[in-house]
Amino acid sequence: MSRSVWKGPFVDGYLLKKADASRSSGRHEMIKIWSRRSTILPQFVGLTFGVYNGQKHIPVNVTEEMVGHKFGEFSPTRTFYGHTSDRKSKRSSGSASAAG
Amino acid sequence: MARIAGVNIPTNKRVLIALQYIHGIGQKNAKDIIEKVNIPAERRVSQLSDNEVLQIREMIDRDYIVEGDLRREVATNIKRLMDLGCYRGLRHRKGLPVRGQRTHTNARTRKGPAKAIAGKKKPTA
Repeated sequence: MSRSVWKGPFVDGYLLKKADASRSSGRHEMIKIWSRRSTILPQFVGLTFGVYNGQKHIPVNVTEEMVGHKFGEFSPTRTFYGHTSDRKSKRSSGSASAAG
Repeated sequence: MARIAGVNIPTNKRVLIALQYIHGIGQKNAKDIIEKVNIPAERRVSQLSDNEVLQIREMIDRDYIVEGDLRREVATNIKRLMDLGCYRGLRHRKGLPVRGQRTHTNARTRKGPAKAIAGKKKPTA
């Protein structure tokens, strides 16, 4: 179920301050944030955030299309390296097809 | 024979059922259309007057997104997610469930038929 409109979008307050500060300083630096749960607001467009994924800050360039999504959606928390046995099976099937 | 919304030619079934052969029209929309055009439920498509067919066609053209347009809309929505680089887009790219379902087992609708794992022995019954 989606969030009630009357509540407005959820954003951790300190993000607004950080965004304002980086805007006024005029330097394009990555704003490190831990708040993956915050909604991306229109005033964040054009800034770069480093969204924490539990290990490091993933740089996210906020574009207009991202407004309405959450920061966490752009910073994956899991890495999938694939199954080793899969690779083996692929290799064996590849050689089988080459032989046949 | 009635052509409604492009290629769809529903058969001599009842109108409520026949309309659902159109992609984008399910039970709810079919019921709404029938009520608005005032077609009795037991009427079949072959018994519709030309005027009624015309009314249905106009209503679908005007009020509903259907068939190719709908498919295109859905495809662009998915494409948007994939281009955005967000989590849902990644899941679409990988062909895995998008809405947080488990993938340890099941998820066969998205993953397709099970692939055999090399070296794994089949249990002999």
